[in-house]
Amino acid sequence: MKCAETIETETPTAPPASNQVRLPMGLLGFEQIKDYVLLVNPAEEPFAWLQVESNVSLAFVVVDPFLILPGYQPDIPQSDVEFLGMKQPTDALLLNIVTVHGPNHATVNLKGPIVINRHTHVGKQVILANASEYSVQHPLSVAEAAA
Amino acid sequence: MLILSRKSGESIVIDGRIRVKIVRVEGDVVKVGIEAPSDVPVHRQEVYEEIQLSNQKALTRQSSPLPKLTGAAAQPKSPVDRPLTQMSRKPSLQKP
Repeated sequence: MKCAETIETETPTAPPASNQVRLPMGLLGFEQIKDYVLLVNPAEEPFAWLQVESNVSLAFVVVDPFLILPGYQPDIPQSDVEFLGMKQPTDALLLNIVTVHGPNHATVNLKGPIVINRHTHVGKQVILANASEYSVQHPLSVAEAAA
Repeated sequence: MLILSRKSGESIVIDGRIRVKIVRVEGDVVKVGIEAPSDVPVHRQEVYEEIQLSNQKALTRQSSPLPKLTGAAAQPKSPVDRPLTQMSRKPSLQKP
């Protein structure tokens, strides 16, 4: 991928907000990759990039689900809440992984959000207790052929 | 792998706190009841595999322009520089 700051030529010169995120258990299927950097480019919001720290050419597109699905009601299992050391709902940042299938087709995984403790920046891909209510490929309403 | 034979109505106890009961056997379908404390996640294996596959599809290896969203999400009201600690805060945690 391009780094967030080089994606659009008109991108402001200010660097994107950069944050380290540690996933001690990795992501499902990528258990060995534990360290990431969250890159937010205002021009690309609500999307952000979760970039592999050790390999900047690898990244996941992520989205804060509450920006796109206000009715999303993820039920985070108590064991995960304890694992992440969260005491209240506001401690949690949720990022759901987006699959970009093409310029006009993207889906988001609502079954398995990445839940991050805002204070420690430690996270985990959680399988929701109510995962059966949600799709792993929820379609996003994407504008036609953005130039 | 430990293999045990059980009849309908019989159970297996794991770690003294997880009870797996064979509820009913109908042809090639076995209905299994699981009693476990709330700190033990129980999911069908397919859910793990589905998310794993989704993650593998989602990994991007090269620059890919991101789609533009339509509707309310297209222009989220957010400051230019929004660190992790300031992103929206609305998850609902499961009650203990």
